[in-house]
Amino acid sequence: MIIPVRCFTCGKVVADKYEEFRRQVRQGADPAEVLDNLGLHRYCCRRMLLAHIDIIDSFMAFATIGAEEAKQSE
Amino acid sequence: MEVTIIYMKDDVCHFLIEGVDVAFANALRRTMLTRVPSMAIDEVLILENTSVMYDEMLAHRLGLIPLVTPLEDYNHPDECDCEGKGCSLCQCTLTLEVEAEGEEKLVYSGDLMSQDPKVVPASDKIPLVKLAPGQRIIIEAYARLGTGRENAKFQPVSTVAYKYVPVVSIDTKACDRCGVCVEICPKKIFRLEGDVLSTQNTLECSLCELCVKECEPNAITIDSKPDSFLFKVESTGALEPTVIIEKALDILKERIRIALDFANLL
Repeated sequence: MIIPVRCFTCGKVVADKYEEFRRQVRQGADPAEVLDNLGLHRYCCRRMLLAHIDIIDSFMAFATIGAEEAKQSE
Repeated sequence: MEVTIIYMKDDVCHFLIEGVDVAFANALRRTMLTRVPSMAIDEVLILENTSVMYDEMLAHRLGLIPLVTPLEDYNHPDECDCEGKGCSLCQCTLTLEVEAEGEEKLVYSGDLMSQDPKVVPASDKIPLVKLAPGQRIIIEAYARLGTGRENAKFQPVSTVAYKYVPVVSIDTKACDRCGVCVEICPKKIFRLEGDVLSTQNTLECSLCELCVKECEPNAITIDSKPDSFLFKVESTGALEPTVIIEKALDILKERIRIALDFANLL
């Protein structure tokens, strides 16, 4: 749904590095290098960012309609 | 016992400890993991949550945020005068009140308002939830001291590990300078300069013994010192690594004292 706060395996906080990771990778940087620079050296933490797909935006598409309808009916 | 700090930066500390046995090294590691107290959000009161995330998920995410812990200022709820009911000596209240008005809004751990300016999230860039226009969350969270024994969120460290100190030795008479070990070593321990094979950063060696396997004249031997350990401590940001180590040693000492007192009674 949204990036997990910590690495499932070792418990390192990874969520605060996700936005920086995504920004740099979008600009064409090598994901491996970005992860190294962010201090994620273990493969358990690296997969947290590499394999993550943010789907909260897809959920929000539905939720917004609900919220607006609720407001109108008030 | 001798301790040498090898590397120290922000939340990471690598140190060498010499003249102890495995039992002590492991006791120290386990104490750091499970006995050193740190603060985390333990109870959450959700007053309003119109976001797409379930209350439970949100509470879980809040619990995982590492909080900077002033150890001197707070009591463990079990040892507090209020008998664990929760008073200002053993509990800290944090509030989160965010509404997305015109556009989508990401709620960060930095939006948490703490009652105590010393107890703040170790990182204020942790995304908690995303709000669509019109959505709102109002949350009251109670942080308290706890230990890793209760819940992993109270661990002040994300990883503590130790390994034996590697001793890489090269038999210069047998070595035929083929350079296979230089290629095969994943940690790049060996260096071949002209006609001399030398070692560098031997502390990095992971004792995988690939070089021993590949070396045809059997010129390389990898050994380890039995009484030295290389510790790697990685803090979550709740406590400084040095504080964690000192505190762990204090706790360990106290626990040994209690065990000895008990043994003497028998």
